[in-house]
Amino acid sequence: MDMQTKIDPAWAWQPYQPDESQPWDEGLAAHLYRRAGFGADSKMLHAAVKRDPSEVVDNLILRNSQPNEFRSAADGLTDTILATGNPKRLSAAWVYRLLQTPSQLLEKMTLFWHGHFATSADKVKDPSMMWDQNKLLRHHALGDFSALVQSIACDPAMLVYLDSAINRKAHPNENFARELMELFCLGEGNYSEQDVQQLARCFTGWEIKNKKFRKNRYQQDVDEKTILGQRGRFDGEEGVQVVLKQPSLEVFLAKKLCRFFVADSLEPSDKLLQPLAELFRGSNLQIAPVVKMMLSSNLFFSSHAVGQKIRSPVELVIGALRCLQATTNSQLVADGLLKAGQGLFYPPNVKGWDGGRSWINSSTLLERSNLVSRILENDATRFGGLSLDHFLQSQQVNSVHSAIDYFERLLLAVRLDDSVKSLLYESVASGTQKPDRKYRALLRAFLSLPQCQIG
Amino acid sequence: MPIVINNSRRRFLQSSIGGAAAIGIGSAIPDCFADAAVFEGSGKDRILVVVQLTGGNDGLNTIIPYADENYRNARPELAISASDMIRHDADTGFHPSMTALYDRLQAGQLTVIRSAGYEQPNRSHFEAMDIWHTCRRKSEQRTDGWLGRFIESQKLSPGGDVPAIHLGRDQQPFALTSQSIPVPTLTSLKDFQLQGRGRESLQLLMKRTPASPSENELLSFVQSSTASAIQASDRVGEAAKGYRSSIAYPESDLAEKLRTIAQLIDAGLTTRVYYVQLDGFDTHAEQLLTHSILLRDWSNAVGAFVQDLDVHGHGERVCVLTFSEFGRRVKENASAGTDHGAAGPMFLCGGGLKAGMVGERPDLTNLLEGDLKHEHDFRRVYASVLQSWLGVNPDPILGDEFETLPLFV
Repeated sequence: MDMQTKIDPAWAWQPYQPDESQPWDEGLAAHLYRRAGFGADSKMLHAAVKRDPSEVVDNLILRNSQPNEFRSAADGLTDTILATGNPKRLSAAWVYRLLQTPSQLLEKMTLFWHGHFATSADKVKDPSMMWDQNKLLRHHALGDFSALVQSIACDPAMLVYLDSAINRKAHPNENFARELMELFCLGEGNYSEQDVQQLARCFTGWEIKNKKFRKNRYQQDVDEKTILGQRGRFDGEEGVQVVLKQPSLEVFLAKKLCRFFVADSLEPSDKLLQPLAELFRGSNLQIAPVVKMMLSSNLFFSSHAVGQKIRSPVELVIGALRCLQATTNSQLVADGLLKAGQGLFYPPNVKGWDGGRSWINSSTLLERSNLVSRILENDATRFGGLSLDHFLQSQQVNSVHSAIDYFERLLLAVRLDDSVKSLLYESVASGTQKPDRKYRALLRAFLSLPQCQIG
Repeated sequence: MPIVINNSRRRFLQSSIGGAAAIGIGSAIPDCFADAAVFEGSGKDRILVVVQLTGGNDGLNTIIPYADENYRNARPELAISASDMIRHDADTGFHPSMTALYDRLQAGQLTVIRSAGYEQPNRSHFEAMDIWHTCRRKSEQRTDGWLGRFIESQKLSPGGDVPAIHLGRDQQPFALTSQSIPVPTLTSLKDFQLQGRGRESLQLLMKRTPASPSENELLSFVQSSTASAIQASDRVGEAAKGYRSSIAYPESDLAEKLRTIAQLIDAGLTTRVYYVQLDGFDTHAEQLLTHSILLRDWSNAVGAFVQDLDVHGHGERVCVLTFSEFGRRVKENASAGTDHGAAGPMFLCGGGLKAGMVGERPDLTNLLEGDLKHEHDFRRVYASVLQSWLGVNPDPILGDEFETLPLFV
């Protein structure tokens, strides 16, 4: 797509100012919450439009850590689950967090970094190592990218995943060095094979023993290395520093963030990304300012972005549940997300999820709908603590027609044709089923619509 | 000549539906046409089904060199007696459990590659399995599997049927891992259909839902993908309901999985690769009974599957490849079992084969640390399957040039 040639970078990243042609309304507020988090319920949308968009973004950014009460509750649950030793149960603990966290953007960024520094429990097996990594990602999610990368370089789960738990001087393990440059920091083409070999020498002696990181100084190669044009007796930290100083880094990360937050098919040119990249470098690789610039921008609130992403399974399911204040069986959701292609703690490979159109095929689409059905049929599923029909009543939604409008307002990024609405109406209105069943059927149909896979 | 027909017709029809939908006349296309579109164009490509015997199958007790006295000497407890086994020729027999597969050999549908393996064999289950799955050694970069690279080489349009499916509850095999295409692990036919309360009316609704005129390409894409998903669900549902077979499958997990695959193939899914596993071959102790049950399970299931496909008219386009990560030690151990070995047989069963035995009787006097040496690199078998069966250039997938074997007609 040559869209980028038409987008003026100066305009793109300027803060969005509502005007008559592009008013700040519930539609845009819902868009912001869907992207910066997982979605907003009716009350949040109501509150958001009374404030300035910049204020809403600020609030999302400022919640860059979990409130203590929430954290201790969620951590307590996780600890119980860790005791089972089953990483699939750990996915459920994350689902709980995704559903309940008051810090939506922080959680969304944690998910982003999980895909970026992809590590799978399929290989690591040990849930406590996976959980420690998850805490690490959350801790740095909106913080300092350099600190994040330095921590990941010593992270037991990561090093086990990349077969780098042992790293001897005589046989430097190139795996982590390669991924550090190719996938984590610079992108392919921005380093040479020789850089990989030299950087790998910096990490010699770095090992995982008894699930803990340690440096074995007898295996450390202390001789001089030449990496990306820099020469010195670099150790691991210094090797990472050399990579972090590369100017291709800020563009690489800006592009990935832009694809994650703004649009799937936007292929942003380096020129378009430049303001983001400059800000990232200028702020010493602080993550929050870049995310803030994106989420506040003209581009983000424009037609280039709204409805221009395919929802991931997490975004679809967690999003719908949050918009309707729902609670449910987290394990059921976790298992279904895995089947639908986004198992938490189970990314497909070291590249993480490709996202975009790759989320969609006939199996994953059917599983999306089937998962929604299993959730809606599950006794543990409540909406604001109520059955769906009572919840809708509490929202002054008293008919199938108004339920259709209510779901549209909360769940969709694109508008529904009247013809689709009448088909939806007919599909549930004709039966003699009880209201609650009727509304659940409607909600399932809604969440199975192609329009609902777009976010 | 390998068949490389892509589903251009199907895609054309699908995209016409998608295209028509995009300009707002989607609902005007009658269901029967959409049905026909998907059904007619699908299901022409050749299919590979991989059966993995996990744990290290004892090849010597599978294809038995019964006339070799070294075999009997090495296995006082475990040697299969000449009177029990299925006698193939003057010096080779099949394990008595393998009647079903031996019948396939007689029917011209089985090819046995006697001693497959590779240089410097690894005797760790995981490392050996990774080598078979990726065709790479530990010292090399291993990010994907040989079948993953195959599906990656196929120019598949996203949104249609998945290019490969792993059936079972076990961990997804590395062989299917690719750089960009996620392969689903599914457990039953239900996973291919809309489930739950009210699915009929939902199915109907999804079929009738018109596509709005949209400049949103992503939405058009999801709309046409949804249309094919609903069609797939329909087809699988019909196939499941109407699926009758004169062939009786044995009652086993493996047979159940293969039967499911037969139904999916019959439903017209365009999936090219299916993968199933049968675990338990790590027979370090009291091997005789266990091994005979496992071989019977495998042989009966594959035999029924291949016959069933014949009955349904798909026999000529489906081939089953069976392998194990290694064979077992020639000499039995003190627990009436065998330890991890090296080379072992591979099996191809189904359509298009030059049936028979490929390779020499293994030489039990010329061993490698007590294990059989390989005669054929397993990647030559892969290369033959890729080139002659799946119709692709094997070199980029295997990472090197491997001479093909004359396994297919």
